[in-house]
Amino acid sequence: MLKYAAGRLLTALPVLLIVSALSFGIVWIVPGDVAAEMAGPTATAEELARLRERLGLTRPWHEQLVGWYGALLRGDLGESILLRQGVAEAIIERLPVTLALTFLALAIAFVIGTTLGVIAAVRAGKGADRVAMGTALIGFSLPDFWLGLVFVYVFAVLLGWLPTGGYVEFTTDPLGWARSMLLPAGTLALSQMGLFARMTRAAMLEVLRQDYVRTARAKGMPGWIVVGKHALRNALIPVVTVAGIACGVLLGGAVVIESVFSLPGVGRLIVGAIQRRDYPVIQGGLLLTATIFVLVNLLVDLLYAALDPRIRHGRR
Amino acid sequence: MAAGDAAIAAPAAAQAKPPGALARLLAHPSFRWGLLLFGAVALCGLAADWLAPHDPLRNNFRTRFVAPNETFWFGTDRFGRDILSRTLHGIRVSLRIGLGVALLTALLGGAVGAVAGFVRRADGPLMRFMDALMAFPAVLLAIALAAALGPSEFNVVLALSIAYVPRTARVMRAGVLVVREFPFVEGARAIGASPARVLLRHVLPNAMAPLVVQQTYVFALAVLAEAVLSFLGVGPPPPTPTLGGIISEGRDYIQEAPWISLAPGVVIALVVLGLNLMGDGLRDALDPRLRTAVR
Repeated sequence: MLKYAAGRLLTALPVLLIVSALSFGIVWIVPGDVAAEMAGPTATAEELARLRERLGLTRPWHEQLVGWYGALLRGDLGESILLRQGVAEAIIERLPVTLALTFLALAIAFVIGTTLGVIAAVRAGKGADRVAMGTALIGFSLPDFWLGLVFVYVFAVLLGWLPTGGYVEFTTDPLGWARSMLLPAGTLALSQMGLFARMTRAAMLEVLRQDYVRTARAKGMPGWIVVGKHALRNALIPVVTVAGIACGVLLGGAVVIESVFSLPGVGRLIVGAIQRRDYPVIQGGLLLTATIFVLVNLLVDLLYAALDPRIRHGRR
Repeated sequence: MAAGDAAIAAPAAAQAKPPGALARLLAHPSFRWGLLLFGAVALCGLAADWLAPHDPLRNNFRTRFVAPNETFWFGTDRFGRDILSRTLHGIRVSLRIGLGVALLTALLGGAVGAVAGFVRRADGPLMRFMDALMAFPAVLLAIALAAALGPSEFNVVLALSIAYVPRTARVMRAGVLVVREFPFVEGARAIGASPARVLLRHVLPNAMAPLVVQQTYVFALAVLAEAVLSFLGVGPPPPTPTLGGIISEGRDYIQEAPWISLAPGVVIALVVLGLNLMGDGLRDALDPRLRTAVR
């Protein structure tokens, strides 16, 4: 297990190095002068020169990259041009909202998705299967940001049950926090819910065919225990790996959903930075989300190997 | 666009499988429903010039915020522009971008995946690079790239293609890894075929089926992502009407004029649902082994 973990860590390292280089390199693909684009048309030549100096654009590209890696090791992501604040600081301030939104959505997607998947597998080929799989398919075909607007219209504008947007700190008002997170997390969960449902159904169908399931049934065990305990436990192993991928998709989705519901998270920070060309924040935001994704998937792989010994002996 | 998409599917089906693949495809209920949905919306988009009852770009301040009625079926926006006409033209933009992304990722991802799967030495570096690209949430990466590259329809296609290329590369590589171990490939090598010939003539044609399936899903993902880009203001530049752009305009008036955002969202959902259904049908018809797998 230790050897597998070390090997897996070794493949994650170069990925992280490339990820950080790519995050930084986003300024290089901007056509024309990045500093001029950032500073706007009213900037003087002197202001432009100062901005170029601050971004390190006056140095050759390899020196810029070395400087970026060096700063990263010190935990320094640079300064936001617009917020007059360190990028790392700005991100850390907003990270809890994004993480809460992502994990709430993951939890909702996982619970509803696996439930749908189990129902579909147990009733394979019947009406319940079609309804469950149809729901899953529609779930990942709907544009989530649009669905968010529909939810806002129905639950906030028409019915007045929930706020149209905005954020309440958990520490000041837990109930208000839950009310402000329910719609965004539910909307965000929808696309991944379908994925979990499909994955669970496929894995369950595979497991329900196994001999030990037939044995359990034959010795007279109640059906729901066979399905819920014997089969589901084994079927969930491959579903766990999907959770890692889903985490990345949800982080990306959070960027848009936070904008729709006016939640003060990293996503809205990045979107604001993109709209106002605040490149240090864009670089830091890209680096952060990708790093979270790599680490979560590292964790998932290790968990997977711990759950299923075949993986660490190379029979994937 | 419907014809274009069918054209991608048909030759591959004819080459890679014995006769009957196409018939099997058309008999598949998911594929038929998907084709019907996608085809219907695509035709509306293609015929937008004839079907649109009004000019999608002309402002008319006397018809601002008109709720849906006989003249304006889907209502009008804050400039008095007809939502139906704008939506029809928006479909065309969405499909053009979706198809562009599906083709460009097939080309780039196909090449990367084929080389990674066939040339052992290139495998590690290429796939680590793809892993790194895939670590960024695709939508976020596309937003950042589209903003950095500057507003143009081609840049949107390019940004989305870079974001979605790793998935295609992975699928292609997996296919090549399987096919290159087949005895007929060894046979081709044994009679002295060059590596390039073995790859292009023997391995690739037999590894195409999963790629065709994958690209249908990429098409769907690209349509969804393009809507997000336009919604956030980094899509094709105005005055091009885009589905995401119309939704974004309606967002500011959701209390007074909720109809603005409604139609474009439904249309996106129909296109994506159609493509996903077609993808499921293709997957079953072209490669039965994939039936239990999820994209």
